[in-house]
This record gives sequence, structure tokens and C-alpha cells, in this order.
Amino acid sequence: MALPIMRITLGWLYFSAMLRRVWNVPAKMNPASPLYVGGKLITFVPHSLFIGGILQYTLLHPVILFDFLVIWTVLEGVFGLFLMLGFMSRLSGLVIALLAWGIGLGAGWIGTTCLDEWQIAAVEGAAALVFVFAGSKWLSIDQLLIKKYPNGLKIGRWNIPLW
Amino acid sequence: MQKFVALLIIGLIIATGYTFVTYQYFFAGFTNLHNYSKTPAYVLKGSTVYTNGTVILQIARVDGPDTYGGFIVLLQLISQNGTIIYQWNAQQLGSIPQSHIHNEYPLHPVKSDKFALVVPLGQNASVLLQVPFKLKPGTYTLRAYDVDGQDSAYGISFSVTVQAQQS
Repeated sequence: MALPIMRITLGWLYFSAMLRRVWNVPAKMNPASPLYVGGKLITFVPHSLFIGGILQYTLLHPVILFDFLVIWTVLEGVFGLFLMLGFMSRLSGLVIALLAWGIGLGAGWIGTTCLDEWQIAAVEGAAALVFVFAGSKWLSIDQLLIKKYPNGLKIGRWNIPLW
Repeated sequence: MQKFVALLIIGLIIATGYTFVTYQYFFAGFTNLHNYSKTPAYVLKGSTVYTNGTVILQIARVDGPDTYGGFIVLLQLISQNGTIIYQWNAQQLGSIPQSHIHNEYPLHPVKSDKFALVVPLGQNASVLLQVPFKLKPGTYTLRAYDVDGQDSAYGISFSVTVQAQQS
């Protein structure tokens, strides 16, 4: 019963990230604008963990950087919304955990007041992973899916527990 | 059920591992706590001084806030015995033509803003400067000052000592 308290807020953190870039301030996705979020990746470079090479390559190839941002934003929007709705919660939790931990490897060292970005990445990653194991019951679409398909999505002889 | 518990334990290890490993890597929280976002730091490694007075300042901003600054307001060329041979003040550093600045990354470029040379976090640029006289062969130190008056942070000195090259 208690899980939606976290699920909806966690989903909103990602869904709203997409909204800010697409609806509130579209200039964030405009490579010619000084507000372009692509520039954030430069600030990760000095102390990133494991992904320094990928960051530098992406920054030197603006087309790849833009595609990367579009894909990232779509993933945030779609799976953030799915998590809020409790739709395919186990899969959505995994995607959100990977997004949280992934960005944390770059931004994790940044935080002028507290250890801001690290705290975000660590707690969002762990919280999202909880839903991979807990799934969703109350206040979710998944509870309807479970009634109809209790073993998850069946592909060949595999049962994939997406919810 | 057993498979579920095994996966859950792997998940527990991954989540906890990520938290502790990144805490130590980014902030050395278990040993010598630091936060590299607090104050700007610059690395001048790779700068070159030529005897005809041309100076190529190679400047990378490696620490400090991500959304603001840093601002270089004073750059000194110092001889081996400590004499300041020449210095570029804020006005000069604030009016370097963009064609004399070569940025490694296209976004968040280093630029002059009338008041200082602005070096955004993560950017790495070479800046062409000119001393208005010839330099004797020998060893020179280039030292930069942030607008907060610092010439070092986190044990990083904003300076580099190089041998003047024949031009």
C-alpha cells in the first residue's frame, strides 16, 4: 500500500525533467541556445567516473550529443510517466535506476551546497531498484495486468516479469 | 522464490556498492572529505612562452561551481628570480578577441566579457597573448588569479613553469 508514495514522486522527477525541456523551456533542447542542456555534459568532465571518454567523444560530436539528449529525454519522460501510473513498474524501475546511476557517474561530484548530484543519483537509483523487486499493486495499472497475465509477458518459453 | 532472493541480494549489493563507491570516489568521504564544486581551480599545463613575446595560455577549469564563472582577472609572467616581467590585467583579459581563443569543446566556450576572462567548468582552451617586447631565453612562470584573489585551490596551483622557446 505504501509504495505509491515514493513511486509517484520518483516518476514525476523524471517525467518533469522531460516537461522542463519540451514544454516549459524548449530552448533547453536547442543546440544554438545558451540554455542548451548539452553544455551540462562539459561540467561533468573533470571528475567523472568511468564515462569520461564517452562524455568527451559526445561533446566533440554535436550531432551525436543532440541524439543522445533526445533519447535520454524520451526515456525520462516515458518511463517516468509509466512509474507514476504503475505501468510495467519492474521494467520502468530498472530503466529509471540506470538513468539515475548513469548520470550520477558524470554529475555525481557536483554540488555546491551539499553533495547534491551524488545524493540524487544514489537515492533515486536505489529507490527505482526497489520497484524492480516490489512491482506495483495498489493505485497502479499493473494490478490489472497481473490479474490477466500473472506471469508477466510471455515470449517463447520465457516469462518476462515487466509488472 | 530462491531465484528472486538471489537477484534481490545482487540488487542490494549493486545499490549499496554504487552509493559507497561513488561517495568515496567523488568526495573521499571515508578518508579525506572534499567537495570540488566549492571554488574554482584552473590548470595551466601545456602553456607555451616564446622568446618573441608570444604566450599561448593553455587553461582548463577543473573545479568549482558548474553554473557560474570562473573569472580570471590577472595573469602574470614571472621570471625565474621572481620578477614580474609582464602582467595582463582584468581589462586586457576581458577584451581578448574570440579569434585568439581556441576552445576544445564547442559548447560553453572560454571568452572575454569586458571584466575578465571567463573559463566555464570543464572547458579547456588555448588563448593567444602577446608580451609587447622580446623575452630573454630562460625559464618563466605563468600565474593566473581568480576574481576571488586565489591563485590555488584544492592543492592545485594556477601556474605553470616553462622554458621559453625560440620563435
